[in-house]
Amino acid sequence: MSIDLKQSYFELFGLPVQYVLDDNALAAAFRKLQTEHHPDRFASGTDEAKRIAQQVTSFINTAQETLQSPRLRARYLLSLNGVDFDDERDTTSDMSFLMSQMERREALEQVAQASDPLDAIDELSRDVKKENFELQQSFAEAFEAGQFDEAKQIVLKLKFFERLMGEIKQQEERLEDDAI
Amino acid sequence: MALLQISEPGMSTAPHEHRLAVGIDLGTTNSLVASVRSGEASTLADEQGDHLLPSVVRYLEDGGVVVGTEAKKALGSDLENTIASAKRLLGRAVSEIKTLAGQLPYRFDESEGNVPQIETRAGKVTAIEVSSEILKALKDRAESTLGGELVGTVITVPAYFDDAQRQATKDAARLAGLNVYRLLNEPTAAAVAYGLDQQADADNKIIAIYDLGGGTFDVSLLKLNRGVFEVMSTGGDSALGGDDFDHVIAEWLLAQSGQQSTDDAHVLRAAMIEARRAKEALSDAESVDVCLGEWTGSLAVAEFNALAEPLVKKTLLVCRRAVRDAGVEKEQIADVVMVGGSTRVPYVRQRVGEFFDKPPLVDIDPDKVVAIGAAIQADLLAGNKPDSDMLLLDVTPLSLGLETYGGLVEKIIPRNTTIPITRAQEFTTFKNSQTAMTVHVLQGERETVEESRSLAKFALRGIPPMVAGAARIKVTFQVDADGLLSVFAEEESTGIKTSVEVKPSYGLSDGEIESMIRSSMDNAKQDVSMRRLREQLVEADRSLEALDSAMAKDADELLNETEKQALLDAREALVKARESDDADVVKSAIKHMEKTAETYVARRMDSNIQAAMSGHNITEFES
Repeated sequence: MSIDLKQSYFELFGLPVQYVLDDNALAAAFRKLQTEHHPDRFASGTDEAKRIAQQVTSFINTAQETLQSPRLRARYLLSLNGVDFDDERDTTSDMSFLMSQMERREALEQVAQASDPLDAIDELSRDVKKENFELQQSFAEAFEAGQFDEAKQIVLKLKFFERLMGEIKQQEERLEDDAI
Repeated sequence: MALLQISEPGMSTAPHEHRLAVGIDLGTTNSLVASVRSGEASTLADEQGDHLLPSVVRYLEDGGVVVGTEAKKALGSDLENTIASAKRLLGRAVSEIKTLAGQLPYRFDESEGNVPQIETRAGKVTAIEVSSEILKALKDRAESTLGGELVGTVITVPAYFDDAQRQATKDAARLAGLNVYRLLNEPTAAAVAYGLDQQADADNKIIAIYDLGGGTFDVSLLKLNRGVFEVMSTGGDSALGGDDFDHVIAEWLLAQSGQQSTDDAHVLRAAMIEARRAKEALSDAESVDVCLGEWTGSLAVAEFNALAEPLVKKTLLVCRRAVRDAGVEKEQIADVVMVGGSTRVPYVRQRVGEFFDKPPLVDIDPDKVVAIGAAIQADLLAGNKPDSDMLLLDVTPLSLGLETYGGLVEKIIPRNTTIPITRAQEFTTFKNSQTAMTVHVLQGERETVEESRSLAKFALRGIPPMVAGAARIKVTFQVDADGLLSVFAEEESTGIKTSVEVKPSYGLSDGEIESMIRSSMDNAKQDVSMRRLREQLVEADRSLEALDSAMAKDADELLNETEKQALLDAREALVKARESDDADVVKSAIKHMEKTAETYVARRMDSNIQAAMSGHNITEFES
């Protein structure tokens, strides 16, 4: 019993090819597939069976992570529609967006001076998450409307948010360490 | 696919017969064994009625071995031949033990391979052998209590135990003559003990396991869904536990009795003993009378809570991080399970309850809960409950990455990624005509190579000479369900490949993982400045490379001697600046060189512009 490693991640989980994701349906399909294919199920099987189980579960795990991540899911949808990405070169040229990203970064640098840095960073984090979420919604609209160029620009912006949120997380951990 | 059922000799396959299986909690301080009897899981006591077996092994003069309470008593008198806390050494290499050796009272034989050996009067012993003595004692206890031979066991390990530590645990079990069905993560065992996976609303349920033992603290977040357990994140502090509560009370006793500066070992010992008594008494009293030598007084709960607060707060910060690592909000956590004897302290329960905003689960004895969960799982794997389909999904405990140019680490598989996983990343050559590339595999959360743990290093050779950036080298990381890593590298245009299986014979300990993660946070600032320096160095190399290759082509045509000399001087200055460890110095030297080269660059563009334009549509140049 194996699965087709060429099928799309959406087909794998039996989900509609769209940006809006049913988290519960994905989780349920993921666990069902894992339960069937996990190498633990083949602990007393042949090496061949174990190797296939390893390959299949890796595919399932990658598919799950891609669809679970709002940015990777968006990117994946575009790539299914023939839109290519060049990670080295592609970047957004929206100046007002870049300005607002810089402002967010400055705000992040300043949280350490706030009277309660952890509260300050929580607030910043909430704002950033909200903006990021709005951006995801605009992706969904652009994608559904077939405006792939516009949609690609949004994906590039989502990458900025991902980095920013990563930095917020790092800063948060540093602040926590200072508090310990 | 049909699974082969392989029966071991002497193993009954009669379907109706209850097969004897046990769960073992192999702990740093104490170990337990439990079994399901008449549908109920419970821990098994020894002949004296004790359930906890101290994880201490003593090698006697007559060649005998004693385990448990008897051995523990000899810790004061026969230290060198009495081994405690062997779990901390499991799966570690000699080189790793050295830093620890100063703190451990044992003599290590450093001559042999990777596995550290402790010299005792019974000869050299490894942590695996010591652990197997503990497991043997529990096996004997179980077989005499249950009245038959065991067919299988489930042994628990910390969730962040890496492959080497898991392997070492398995080896110890094999040495003890146990058939291991499965190693189970301790937090998962605790969740199983409470039957949290069996509840009707168990879909996508997130639970937190708060485990405060004698000397260690761990927190894990698990996701449950129809019998599937997923470890979402783990965190901990390997040097924080119930003993620290005793310490703060002891210090208070010494201060109150005016002996804070004493170094009299007897007084300190008396203070520790009294502190422990007071802590236990305060579990169900508002205040307790205490004495130290001549001094008498009383310790109120409020006072104790104030003393304990900094310790409890530390554990909650670790919880906060684990919650974020899991990518969830505190409100989404459905249950909090308390594990470890120190969670009996009411203030700990109160503060944990406040933090997660729900009362923690405390019904099962926190010392026994892990062993009980292991027993339930063992019963299931023994085939005594054929209808269950419980499955545990695991994650990587530390990030895995590669060295990139400039001594930086590029993370390929971040920590807490569900395994098995395969992930590929493309790299390219940095220099013209580069024919080989070193693949250096690293583990850890830090950004630089020196501060990460090196797992393997191998070379991909035979790359056809191409201009820098043209080769496409795909490096693939594969982590299997047991956490073992394999790495493959392939040059895609030619298909030249090489691979290595990264299988360290030892692993990182819980403490090391903890301290590696911690120091990555502490040094994040230093990392950033180091990263800046490295980026500037890479930039400098790029500029030098570009200049050299340009000058080799047309410097003589386009520059006069003075211009050429000025450029060479600027180049020299940059080479010198490169040796400094100051990012700003390097940066300004790059700027200076670029500035000096401006005329040259302009002339090159002029002379090349026609060729450059011929391939483009003119509109491209308008914007």
